[in-house]
Amino acid sequence: MVKVRQVQAFALFAAVLSIFWFIGLLLTMQGYIGSTMPVMTPIAIDEHSKEEKSAIQKDTLAVLALGDSLTRGTGDSTGKGYVGHLIDDLRQGSDQNVSIHNLAINGQRSDQLAQQIQQADVQRTIQGADLIVLTIGGNDLFRRGETLLNFDMNAIDGYREAYIQNLNFILSEIRKHNNEATIFYLGLYNPFINLGDSETTSKVIREWNYESAEALALYDHTVFVPTFDLFQLNVNQYLYSDQFHPNSEGYRIMADRLTSLLTNAR
Amino acid sequence: MINLVFNEITKLLGKRRLLVVTLIMAMLMAVFTYAQAKEIERTRERLGTEDWRTTLQQQIIDTQNRLGSTRISDEWRQTLQIRIAQQQYYLDNDINPAEPGAPTFLRGFIENSVQLLLPLMVMVIAADLVSSEKSLGTIKLLLTRPVKRWRILLSKYITLILAVSFIIFIFGLLGYLISGLVFGYKGWMAPVISGFVVQGGELDTASTFIIPQWQYLLMAFGLAWFVSIVVGTLSFLLSVLVRSTAAGMGIMLAALISGTILSNMVSSWEAAKYLFMVNLNITSYLTGQSPPIEGMTLGFSVTILTIWAAVALFLSFFVFTRQDVY
Repeated sequence: MVKVRQVQAFALFAAVLSIFWFIGLLLTMQGYIGSTMPVMTPIAIDEHSKEEKSAIQKDTLAVLALGDSLTRGTGDSTGKGYVGHLIDDLRQGSDQNVSIHNLAINGQRSDQLAQQIQQADVQRTIQGADLIVLTIGGNDLFRRGETLLNFDMNAIDGYREAYIQNLNFILSEIRKHNNEATIFYLGLYNPFINLGDSETTSKVIREWNYESAEALALYDHTVFVPTFDLFQLNVNQYLYSDQFHPNSEGYRIMADRLTSLLTNAR
Repeated sequence: MINLVFNEITKLLGKRRLLVVTLIMAMLMAVFTYAQAKEIERTRERLGTEDWRTTLQQQIIDTQNRLGSTRISDEWRQTLQIRIAQQQYYLDNDINPAEPGAPTFLRGFIENSVQLLLPLMVMVIAADLVSSEKSLGTIKLLLTRPVKRWRILLSKYITLILAVSFIIFIFGLLGYLISGLVFGYKGWMAPVISGFVVQGGELDTASTFIIPQWQYLLMAFGLAWFVSIVVGTLSFLLSVLVRSTAAGMGIMLAALISGTILSNMVSSWEAAKYLFMVNLNITSYLTGQSPPIEGMTLGFSVTILTIWAAVALFLSFFVFTRQDVY
């Protein structure tokens, strides 16, 4: 049986709570409908505190991945992409802590990446990175298939010039914030090598890769990592069903190449 | 009058329904705390860092990649875009949207339970306040006393409000105590950005303000309390109308669940915004998610819910004072 005292105590307590919650409700209504809340002014981010934070994590190897769908891992049924495989390898190979930051966006072109790396927080991440992997240019060249449908050498030359300019901007921007990190740039492969006209497409891609490598050579600690040869012979075995992105195995062999480069570098 | 209320509270406590509700909530809290802790651990392993900026930035990029997919609906795309804009805003202002700690857990939990979990708990109490007396026959004893019928009903309604306040409190207390075991008890003063306005599918940050987390929680709990009172009032009406407690609960349950389903699919059926169940997810206005139907605002939802509750309350009294009791 419930005692009278308990009942009274409960009633009193609950009554106080009711008033309390009602105040909360009033506060909300006031804030939203009366809008008496002080409007917030964006806070200037304290540069000093940020640098401190990136300094703390020096015992971990910070990997930053930038670029397009290849870096994102589109087509890999395990969802890892070459970045995921690479991280797995790095974690297995040493006791060091490995952190990964994959900022790649599907379908990104070089002009979009150039914009992306100007964001304050992306720059902060670049500052803290020990290792940067990068794929870019595939979408500049293929334009979601348009380039192949209306094949025009002059147009491609135009794309390439604009792309090289962007690439230069991207690399100098990265170097502005980080002088130390090694940049691994993965070149293009020819997904259409089994189709007719493969001579022309391969030539275009070779030129594209050549110009990219030339651009990279202007900067310190940059490595051009070719992938053309990886996909040259058995392209179908390594392509995803869209006949454009690599499949799981394709990403695997890309990662293997990177891993071996990294093991030598460290 | 006050003695009538005491009498009702005695009956309520005697039935131990509050105890059952408390136990259910305690178990759920434990489950969700565990799930949340696992999730945090997994993210840490995957990204290899504990810096919240890294995590947040990664979330933004991941969402951007989902936007790129051609298979998502326009509404979902809009929701994602608003989420990105909001996360970017947190990042630009250097404020962690999820400062680790029990208060943050509580904040997330109340936002997720206001639509279904809390209304269900309240319904368990409210749905049998009158109908159980009818099915047991004790209503006759109550009504043969020289007390006006409306006073009896009012005492029951006051008891309901007290019980709702108590449930909300227990919810907060349990959530804080249980999740604090894992996440720590700090974080009341962590800054939270509120006041996002979603207009025409765009996030408007012009009127945002920063408040300490305790104040945000007080606001969220105030809203949750309001929603619970409204749901309680509607269940109360059913309890007056329907003789069987189970039937009353069933009807209310159907309405609540249909609300969560409708919220996800009614964006093209504009008149649905006048249904009470679509307006229950009221804390989403604090967090600035896109509302289920274009043009819904906090003021609108509060008004609609108030009207529903007022009509239900009027009907309860109207019916109860005239009903034949046999």
